[in-house]
Amino acid sequence: MHSPWWKRARVLVALAMLAGLSAALLDFRGLVPHRLGHALASVQLVPAALGAAAGLTLSVIALLAVLALTLALGRVYCSAICPLGIFQDIVSRLARLVGPKKRFLRHAKPLSWLRYGVLGATLLAVLAGWSGVALALLDPYSNYGRIASDLFRPVGVLLNNGLVGVAEAFGWMWLYRVEPHWAGAGALAVPAVALTVVVVLSAWRGRLYCNTLCPVGTFLGVIARRAAWRIEIDQDACRKCGACLKACKAQCIDLRTGEIDASRCVGCFNCVPVCTDGGIGLAWKWRRGAGKTSAPAASAVTPSDAGRRAFIGASTLALTAAAGVAGVVVAEAGRRRRGQGRGPQDQGIVFGPVCPPGSKSVERFLDVCTACHLCVSACPTGVLRPASLEYGWAGLTKPQMDFSKSFCNFDCNRCGEVCPEGAILPLALAEKKTTQLGVARFRRRMCIVHEAGTACGACAEHCPTGAVHMVPFRDGLTIPQVEPEQCIGCGACEYACPVRPARAIRVEALPVHGRAIVVKDKPAESPAPVDDFPF
Amino acid sequence: MNTRREFLRTGLTLGAAFSLTDMGGLFAADAQSAAPGAGPRPVLVAVRDGDRVAMLDKAIAELGGMGAFVKKGQSVVVKPNIGWDVPPERAANTHPSIVKRLVEMCFEAGAASVSVFDNTCDQWQKCYATSGIGEAAREAGATMVNGKDESLYREVQIPGGRQLKSAKVHGLVLDSDVFINVPVLKHHGGATMSAAMKNLMGVVWDRGFYHSNDLHQTITDFLTLRKPTLNVLDAYHPMVRNGPRGKSADDCIEMRTLLASADIVALDSAATKLLGHPEPGVIGHVRLGDEMGLGVMDLKRVDVRRIKLA
Repeated sequence: MHSPWWKRARVLVALAMLAGLSAALLDFRGLVPHRLGHALASVQLVPAALGAAAGLTLSVIALLAVLALTLALGRVYCSAICPLGIFQDIVSRLARLVGPKKRFLRHAKPLSWLRYGVLGATLLAVLAGWSGVALALLDPYSNYGRIASDLFRPVGVLLNNGLVGVAEAFGWMWLYRVEPHWAGAGALAVPAVALTVVVVLSAWRGRLYCNTLCPVGTFLGVIARRAAWRIEIDQDACRKCGACLKACKAQCIDLRTGEIDASRCVGCFNCVPVCTDGGIGLAWKWRRGAGKTSAPAASAVTPSDAGRRAFIGASTLALTAAAGVAGVVVAEAGRRRRGQGRGPQDQGIVFGPVCPPGSKSVERFLDVCTACHLCVSACPTGVLRPASLEYGWAGLTKPQMDFSKSFCNFDCNRCGEVCPEGAILPLALAEKKTTQLGVARFRRRMCIVHEAGTACGACAEHCPTGAVHMVPFRDGLTIPQVEPEQCIGCGACEYACPVRPARAIRVEALPVHGRAIVVKDKPAESPAPVDDFPF
Repeated sequence: MNTRREFLRTGLTLGAAFSLTDMGGLFAADAQSAAPGAGPRPVLVAVRDGDRVAMLDKAIAELGGMGAFVKKGQSVVVKPNIGWDVPPERAANTHPSIVKRLVEMCFEAGAASVSVFDNTCDQWQKCYATSGIGEAAREAGATMVNGKDESLYREVQIPGGRQLKSAKVHGLVLDSDVFINVPVLKHHGGATMSAAMKNLMGVVWDRGFYHSNDLHQTITDFLTLRKPTLNVLDAYHPMVRNGPRGKSADDCIEMRTLLASADIVALDSAATKLLGHPEPGVIGHVRLGDEMGLGVMDLKRVDVRRIKLA
């Protein structure tokens, strides 16, 4: 179990995972097969757990596989599967390259009060029905998703647009300009803060983030303490040269005691090949105590240890309790807010926000979605955009349909196909085409036809269902009319309406999605003679 | 050689040498659409009862062959209707076989480059793909150009316009030597009919301006800037209700007709008849086109050549 292939395999899987997920999240031209992003996102722990709860088969398998992997080999997940973890490895490696001097991270004591506090608060929040906020803010995969989709993708678009000019000069037509979709300031702040925290912490102290603020890391650490195989120092072979210590980014190897903290070891296997003496490697530790990998130290509980544990225990309990109470209070406030003041109002009608087809209801969507923005990146029309406070605080960064900029393509169900957590359930195309997200409301007095007495019909022109259609008006003009039961709330009419600042036709969001009626017309008849020229 | 950048540059030089209206006079075909009463009557070819390509071949031959419109070494822009992300059988877009054959004819006539684009309503990549036009045009050797790239549009003055005094127009339309308009005939909820004149809304950046500033007048105003060299109307399977997007293929009827003319108003006037309108003048932009001297609405003053292939 001292083979260098452990590390090589881990690096290969990690790079493939990061490349695949990043490609899906950065893709602004629909070039990456959407199944790739969906598959790689589905094996992420939080999406897998949520997807399993929503009854997605792939998620159940993925969840069991991740738990089994951790029980077998420890937190390999954190080094090979989690994109935020892999990203941090790249940052800390770069930081060491450009850093002022060659330095290495010493062994450090765990900040247990912090990591268990965050984990406890997260679990309490989930129990209090506030998983939608806690998991959205803390899930490492979703954080990476937002960083890649909201920050890296628009930058990629700008680079692309810069290259288009060069490509044109050479006559290459496969590059074309794309509009960079920047999220609103409120939505953008979240990934910007996350990126800053992660970059600073990883450049400073390797996997500090993963061993303090990440609830997924801490949760897997609890399992990893009892993993079947754990990294162990062979006391007979070890010369205490410190090579393994220098290779460790989790600061979990204590050479003085010969212990390795399995709850913080991220399973990168970097320490294994650097040891020239074969002194460190994976060892079978099934049912041989939790957390301690070195037998002599395991029995030595000193009085100061006991005091420290008591302090950690008490402070953790206090912190989690406080966080839990806070969570419940905020949750209740959020529920009330969601019930009343959703979105912008205009002439007494509540218009937004509209949540994507397959999410069933705003409340369910906000509870399940962790805002990984895979759907935002995958949406071909760009109608799905991260919300700032349109849903209220509970929906910060969660995707909403922004009809001021685009509209939902009638023949597309991509968002449900990519969502790894069942927040947007996959819908067959036929079902999606009758899923009613909202209902178009036409304000006749604001309409061009009524106001200016000139023809328009832009809304009816874009309507895919015929719900918005033109009926006779004065002076041979036609004016829009909406059949609400046929409207699916795709927003094509609102997008197309030329009236400003407020548009004459807008989609009123349905808090719970409905089902539109399809009116089947008889085949059309020819308005002119069919066998000769009518002129 | 035939890059976009290349003929944008060529076009700029040309544009400096001739005013756009003078440039139209370079082409023999334009003489056919001269003001009513002054010169020969405009020719309108109407073909029935063949397949699309056969009708197109016949119509162009009747107009003197593509060589009457495209000279050797010229750059051509072909503007179909590619507005919607729907398949060809829904007939919301020009049929790809017509676009493909037109591109082939342009190259046979010696065109240096043929570009195809539309400022689509649905997402452009999806429209180009689902309509079948992207693939068909590329097979024939044309370049599919992004119609949703604002940087390819240029602000130009339209002194002859009543409502549309200036607009951002796609560089291909401003700079190409030959401008071929190839719409599909459709019912249109707002404009009543969508044919050749309405199709040209897809060469300007801001369609919303048209809608909010008298749709029919702005559609007509654009023609004072540049009239297409040639118009070909696909009326094989026209959508007669729920237009311009349509709900299903049930909105279409089989008509197996194709019209071609250098006179855009004459062509649209005949199109109104195909859709069963008693008087062409009920369609605002057709009436205004005639009124502003942009073409002939009265088909009695048009040399209509009716051809039945079966």
